[in-house]
Amino acid sequence: MDEYLVGVLSNVGVISFVALSAYLLLLTGEITFGQQAFFAIGAYAAGIATAMWGWTLAAGLGFGALAGALSATIVGVPTLRLHGLYFAIATLAFAEMVRILFEMFRYQIEIDGEWVGPNGADGFRDIRYIFENDISGMEFMLIIYGLLTVILAGFMLLERSRLGVIFRMIGEDEVLAGLQGVSVARYRILAAAIAGALAGIGGGLYAHLTTYIEPRIFDVMLGVHSLAYGLIGGLGTALGPILGVLIDIGLLESIRALSGYRMIIFGGLVALLLIVRPRGLLDERLVHRIGVALRGGRKMRV
Amino acid sequence: MVDLAQNTIDGLMIGSSYGLLALGFTVIFGVMRRLNLSYGPSIMIGAYLGTFLYIQQGAGPLAVAGAVVVGSVLAGVYVERLCFAPMKAGAAIASMVSSFAIWMQLEQAAILVLPRHTYPFPPLSTALPLEFGPFLLRVDHLMMLACAVLLAFAVHGVLYRTRYGLGLRAIIGNPVAAHLVGIPVRRSVLIAFAGASAIGGVAGFLVLAVDQQVTPMFGMWATLKGLVAMMIGGLGSIPGALLGGLLLGVVEAQSQWYFGPQIRDLVAYLVLFAFLVMRPGGLLGEAPKVEIALPQGT
Repeated sequence: MDEYLVGVLSNVGVISFVALSAYLLLLTGEITFGQQAFFAIGAYAAGIATAMWGWTLAAGLGFGALAGALSATIVGVPTLRLHGLYFAIATLAFAEMVRILFEMFRYQIEIDGEWVGPNGADGFRDIRYIFENDISGMEFMLIIYGLLTVILAGFMLLERSRLGVIFRMIGEDEVLAGLQGVSVARYRILAAAIAGALAGIGGGLYAHLTTYIEPRIFDVMLGVHSLAYGLIGGLGTALGPILGVLIDIGLLESIRALSGYRMIIFGGLVALLLIVRPRGLLDERLVHRIGVALRGGRKMRV
Repeated sequence: MVDLAQNTIDGLMIGSSYGLLALGFTVIFGVMRRLNLSYGPSIMIGAYLGTFLYIQQGAGPLAVAGAVVVGSVLAGVYVERLCFAPMKAGAAIASMVSSFAIWMQLEQAAILVLPRHTYPFPPLSTALPLEFGPFLLRVDHLMMLACAVLLAFAVHGVLYRTRYGLGLRAIIGNPVAAHLVGIPVRRSVLIAFAGASAIGGVAGFLVLAVDQQVTPMFGMWATLKGLVAMMIGGLGSIPGALLGGLLLGVVEAQSQWYFGPQIRDLVAYLVLFAFLVMRPGGLLGEAPKVEIALPQGT
């Protein structure tokens, strides 16, 4: 596989994490414009852990996931009462605050005569773990997709578990779910924490993939894109958001020739797609049909 | 003390432009119950049309103002036809994401026509600032405030004093019932959308005339400022939109003066977050009862 393709695919894999993070919250009925905040927190935490504290990659990614989950829990509590647009804008306000705080965040130590660490708006350079440990681009891509596969398997299990049913139940009607004895607040915070961890891992991988992060990468655009991926690819399965990322980054890369016009074409295509399929390509109905077909025709399970 | 008062004055003036942006936003959201992320980029199309005429033809401020409003309305109607009109009930998130896709499209179209990072924009007034004792007041700022107040009254008047407004309020209350009693729902909604875009166009022109320059960031800026001011003022409230804009302007002016631009943005988002958590209804909106807007469903 040539280097360019590895680069594009690695990028698709990493962005898929934050798309899945937004997708999980969509399952519980919440729209978020703020998952980029936990992506950023994970990126900084993992980068600091490996580049400054000398941790291993696995420990760094774990630390990023933990930081993402913790901060998502902390912001999840005060926003519990909020829904719909109110929740969406609250997450946006939070994410913008995080971005601005990272612009002011300076924490550097001297390693071998060089200053390493986040330096405000100038960003965080030289997160060189994968070079220092001779991990090739190909190997790192396999790490990304390995983790992604584990998480996808987790989503598949979730869809078949009681927890998954509860998440979708809260998404359909929170009041009704509460009347059925579901502790809505607890499960919403749990969903937020898992989503935060997912974005945190993705951020950690992103930091090591690019070796350089700066606050302005984690702006509203990334947040809205993450949400849009689920809608484009489909809300019926966790593969949907990944398909969305693949369509966006893959298609945009492949129509480079049309450089000046690509957003015009792509934006128009997405708008038309959403008219025909308002819940994305792989929506619940299609996924259900595929499931029935795979199980051998007519055996319908409710 | 003089600084504090002067900052407050400046904040109110800048805030009136936020209020105007929020006014257009709140009309669209009130009627549609859906978020139009392309609101700012539609205004940007108008702004770029005006700038184009200014650079190429040397058009005067009035002609440019007209072009900005017309451009905003045309782009707004395009967004309504593509992202909102064809969507079924319950597909609110699809509408929002679709409007985001069109945001990307509009922005790129504008950049294709005028690719440089900044362009000059004609000033509204080059008169010297008025002096009141120790305080200074820019003439174009005063015009902006006057426009904001006038348009807020105009929107209120249309909604509560005309037959069209009565119909629109019926649609907001219950679109199916409004349709059954013979109100032309789709046409009324389209007109409201166009009107809101026109208000946005006026806001856009005034902001750019004060800054005297246009950048490709303007679309995003307009969407964000309008959204923040609308939420602080209270979703769906017309006086709230104006007050929210003014409050945002004052908060920004004070924190910029005392702490600099980074803290200014931080404080603005902190105020928004605090309002949403402690008083989701904002200054004047009603607190959300159960589920407002963006419902699930196929």
